[in-house]
Formats: sequence, structure tokens, C-alpha cells
Amino acid sequence: MERPRPSGLADVIDIILDKGLVIDAYVRVSLIGIEILTIDARIVIASVDTYLRFAEAVGRLNIAETDDSKGLPELLEGMTEGGSRSKTKGAVEGVKEKLGIGDGDEEERERAKPRARRRRRDEGEE
Amino acid sequence: MSEVHVYGVVPASATPELAEQGHRLIAHRDVAALVSEADRDGLRAASVLRAYWRVLEQAAAVTTVLPVRFGTVMTGDQAVVTEFLEPAHDELAERLKEMAGKVQLTVKGFYEQDALMTGVVERSPTIARLREQVRGLPEAAGYYKRIELGQLVAAEVERERERDAHGILERLRPLALEARLEPPSTPDSAVHAAFLVDGKRVDEFSGAVAALGRELTGRIRLRFLGPLPPYSFSGEDATAGARAWA
Repeated sequence: MERPRPSGLADVIDIILDKGLVIDAYVRVSLIGIEILTIDARIVIASVDTYLRFAEAVGRLNIAETDDSKGLPELLEGMTEGGSRSKTKGAVEGVKEKLGIGDGDEEERERAKPRARRRRRDEGEE
Repeated sequence: MSEVHVYGVVPASATPELAEQGHRLIAHRDVAALVSEADRDGLRAASVLRAYWRVLEQAAAVTTVLPVRFGTVMTGDQAVVTEFLEPAHDELAERLKEMAGKVQLTVKGFYEQDALMTGVVERSPTIARLREQVRGLPEAAGYYKRIELGQLVAAEVERERERDAHGILERLRPLALEARLEPPSTPDSAVHAAFLVDGKRVDEFSGAVAALGRELTGRIRLRFLGPLPPYSFSGEDATAGARAWA
């Protein structure tokens, strides 16, 4: 199989979290720090921050003109890593792609992340 | 005894291959837990998450794996046997048999931002009107109006997402053994669906996703991930099941 293109943690978090077999709380030990990471995905959608970004996104649309797409800002940039990545790629990204997280170029990806998200995750790791 | 991080459950018969990959296993009868030492000092959530993902991915390449919920730590090897593998043995053995030869394929879709927002404004006169009002206001004065506008947009996006997510799920469901919608985790999410697919039909399924992706071009951008261990299909009633095991 072709060598996979590594994907960021954000891409796998919602596949992993809250999934899988649950071992009863009485017989397991909780893992410190993980809880903060799990909250992250859920609070994003129904937040004032998201509302303001949506408002900005529709506000900046210039609907009367049709050929101004180049002049538009990346409307939702920063709201999601998946969304801000790879506008130029094909319709389906990563067919049969395996996620090579931890493959060595994490540093570069970390730098490319939107600031707000990076800050949240750093807190989560402390 | 030191605490162990429990990643997943595998058939005990797969122990040699997994040992070769450097994974540690705790076997009990015909099932085994895939574990590592839990180093709780200096623990970084992101690195633990990477390790979890990698270990399960490697194991799934050689055998059937039931993922155990991320972040599960038990007090030691003995506890893994007496509190988990032994009481849950029959259920684990049965699920491993059920999952043999099957993989999870995950389809995520993200809205193209311009197309989504343009559609929202065109469909809703209220949003269009409020948008015009807000555009004329200075930033500070328009704060609450902008939040109101954003909420209306979010609700409209939610309706759109509901339609698209179900449409995409139903389109691909015939090629899968099981299909499930997962909650969106980003504001521009159009769909997040997990499919349990017969290993022999992965190529066929991939073709269908590619065709769907072409149809949605310009509106929704698809990401296709897998084959994965059955994260969404290891135990739909896992919590209830776990209570019964205790």
C-alpha cells in the first residue's frame, strides 16, 4: 500500500474519543489530562466564538458579484483544521489513507495549526 | 504492580505476531488485552493518543482488534485479568468472532465555505436582512446583533447538515454491514459517518465514496479514512455491557 500522508491529531480525535469498549469505572483508574482534550470538539459548535465567525463569514460575502471568490478571505479559517487544509486537493482526499500520526513531521503541523486550537490543546496537555 | 494502559482486545492466538511488533499482551484463555505500562508522570494527552492510535493500527493490520475506550488505565496485569478479561470473556470472544475480517471505514465531509454561506443567505430572508443591518454597524455596536446573526446561520447550517449527513449515510449504507452517524465535531462538518465493511468489499466501497465525492464537488469536500479498527462498532451497548461485567 502507498505510503500514507500523515494527518493531524484533530483528524483522529473524533474517530477515537468516546468509542470502544468501556471498562467499568470502579475497576479502572482515570487518566489525567484526557478529559480536557475530550471537551474540545463539543464546545466548538455551540459557542459565541463560532456564532461570531459565522456572522463574519456571511457578512463578508459579496453576493451581488459572482467573480470575487479570490478576494474573499478564508471564511471559516481557524474554525477547523480539516476545513482550512487542502483546498486544492481532489474531491475525495486520502482514499484508503492510513493515518500516520506520529510520523515525524508533527512539529510542522503543529505550527500550521490555527492559534486558538493550538492554545486549547496545549492546555489539555498540561 | 504498575498501572497499565489498556488499548484493545485481540484473539490470544494472535499473540506471536503482536509480540513481534513489540506489543505487550495479557492473555486469558482465548482472548488477550493489548497493553502498555502507563507512565502517569509527565503524561501528555497528545502523545498518549498517538500511541493508542498507532498500537491499534499496527495490531489491526495482523489480527482482529476490539478497541477499548481511549484513556483506560487499570491498576495492574492482575486487574486486567480478574476485572476485565475473565468477567467479560464470553462477550469479548463473541465480538472478536463477529468482527473477524471486517474493517471500519470513516467518511467525513466538510462544507465548502463560500457555497455554504451563499446558500444560507439566499434561502433565509431573515438572515439576509440581518446581514445587511450588521454590515452597516460599527464593530462594538453590532456585537449582539452579530451573535444573533451567527446563531441564525448556525441553525441553518444545522438543518443543512442534517439533510446531507443522512443523504450520504443512506447512499453508502447498502455497501456496508453496519452504518452509523457520529456527531459533528467542527462547525463546517457536513457528515461524519462510520461504516463497518466486509474486508473483501473495501475497494467497492472506496469506489462508491470516490463517485460520491465527485458529485459533491464544489459543495462538500469528503475525507475518507481507513481501514480502521472498529472504533464505532466494538460495543454499541458498551457501557451497559461493562456494568454487567463488573
